[in-house]
Amino acid sequence: MIFINSFKPYNDMLQHFLSLPKQWSLDKYIETWQIFHLSRLMGNTLFYTFCTVSLVLIMAPMAAYKLSRTKSTTSRVCFVLIILPMMVPFQSYMISLTRFIAGLHLSGTRIGYILVSAGLCVPLAVFMIHGFVKGVPLELEESARIDGAGRIRTYLQIVLPLLQPIIVTVIVLDTLATWNDIIINQLIVGGKSVAMNIQNALYMRFSAQTADWEHALPGIVISMIPSLIFFAFMQGKIINGVTAGAVKG
Amino acid sequence: MNNNASEKLIFGIFVLPSLAFVLFATDIPFLLNLYYSVFDWNGISKSMSFIGMGNFVKTFTDDALFWQSVSFTLRFTLFYVVLVNITSLMAALALQKGSTVSILGRAFFYIPYIISLTAIGLIWKFLLGPGFDALYQLSGNEFFGISWLGEPKYAFIIVVVMSVWQTLGFYMINYITGLIAVPTDLLEAATIDGANAIQRFFHVTLPMIMPAISICLLTSLTFAFKLFDIILVFTKGGPANSTVTVTYDIYKEAFINSNYGLATAKSLIFVAFVLIVTLFQTKLTKKQEVEI
Repeated sequence: MIFINSFKPYNDMLQHFLSLPKQWSLDKYIETWQIFHLSRLMGNTLFYTFCTVSLVLIMAPMAAYKLSRTKSTTSRVCFVLIILPMMVPFQSYMISLTRFIAGLHLSGTRIGYILVSAGLCVPLAVFMIHGFVKGVPLELEESARIDGAGRIRTYLQIVLPLLQPIIVTVIVLDTLATWNDIIINQLIVGGKSVAMNIQNALYMRFSAQTADWEHALPGIVISMIPSLIFFAFMQGKIINGVTAGAVKG
Repeated sequence: MNNNASEKLIFGIFVLPSLAFVLFATDIPFLLNLYYSVFDWNGISKSMSFIGMGNFVKTFTDDALFWQSVSFTLRFTLFYVVLVNITSLMAALALQKGSTVSILGRAFFYIPYIISLTAIGLIWKFLLGPGFDALYQLSGNEFFGISWLGEPKYAFIIVVVMSVWQTLGFYMINYITGLIAVPTDLLEAATIDGANAIQRFFHVTLPMIMPAISICLLTSLTFAFKLFDIILVFTKGGPANSTVTVTYDIYKEAFINSNYGLATAKSLIFVAFVLIVTLFQTKLTKKQEVEI
């Protein structure tokens, strides 16, 4: 429905709501693309998603693996500190978070946003991988150690490949979360249009009462396309991933 | 000794990045929250006056809107939890077989869950606005003429329907996973014993999928308590504050009314509440697991 109507001029939307457009013209799309600097917005969003997911992928498996294998008080305290945010709703610290970021002069910057969005993704990732590591046999690591591999090499060449199933889940969850994020981007970046992601920009632009549906609909469609493509490719994995992540939501 | 030191170094290298990120993005802000909550502060000015428990007292005694938001959240929770679980279980029963139709059906229910809420909020606004206007012109049907977002009771219905629609796919997948695990020979045995479809469902299937049910109930409960994004992108709490949730009230108090101190105090009350519910739910799940 949205798709059909996104091709029509506004008057046709009202008068011929259910019918197909008279002509499938891409004019409105091109117009929307230019008016909203969609190349920049899409670029930002892609960049954020890429950075957040990469950061999480570098940090979380290392931490989760080491925390799971080390049995000490320090290890336990670190684990609790890392997964604590899972118990507390985001809304309860978002106010101070915003002030804190402003205090560090990171509001409105891309780097500030990436740091926060990665930081918010880490707890669940660590928690899930931590649980998974328990099921991975220790013998392989030991034999690698005996064969003379250093700890970091053991991790990279032996452990990391074994963690692959759960890592795919983490990728799926965090990609969707970052691509679709609106509230964190809004809190950290606010109205700084250079650093907005596409969701925030759409929200800012159209949530007011202005009924500029001619441009809103193409905007919506464009913002959805990447999620849908991602869904089409990863269908089975998305479903597994989301279910796995939710058990402890 | 050397070995021990290098062990510590390795531990640090592996764990510190994650720890630093989490401290930065969540743990420290949360501690700051505790600190701000005892001040009267607008978030900008340098002067913060210490008022002790004043913010908490104010929330409990003199904040009609907060209690209105509590009441909305509770009503929403009730309707949402019941509706989303029933509908998603029904969808799961209909689509549990792996045929092409059911795969398409699953995607149909699941896609809203992976689309951003901005897009979803705008789509619904479009349908309820120009869309319904156009249908009203065409059909003259009263249903399309109602100002769905203009009246509190309709706005409540819309928020519930929209939340159910958006999250249904997620619970459906959970139920499908549960249903697939039900052994078919049990169902066949029941059929041979003369049980009809409804009896089979209530006496065989339902008891077998209790784990899925308890997970879905509890997840939907937490989701309902934390309902926020949908309100933000869709109703903004309107009309006349009728759809303000607790979380949205906190957001409004901080970022629109600029009462940071008060907002942090409210958020702590909310955390306490959510923690109690979470503890209760973990207990309940544990009990379930023992029974099964």
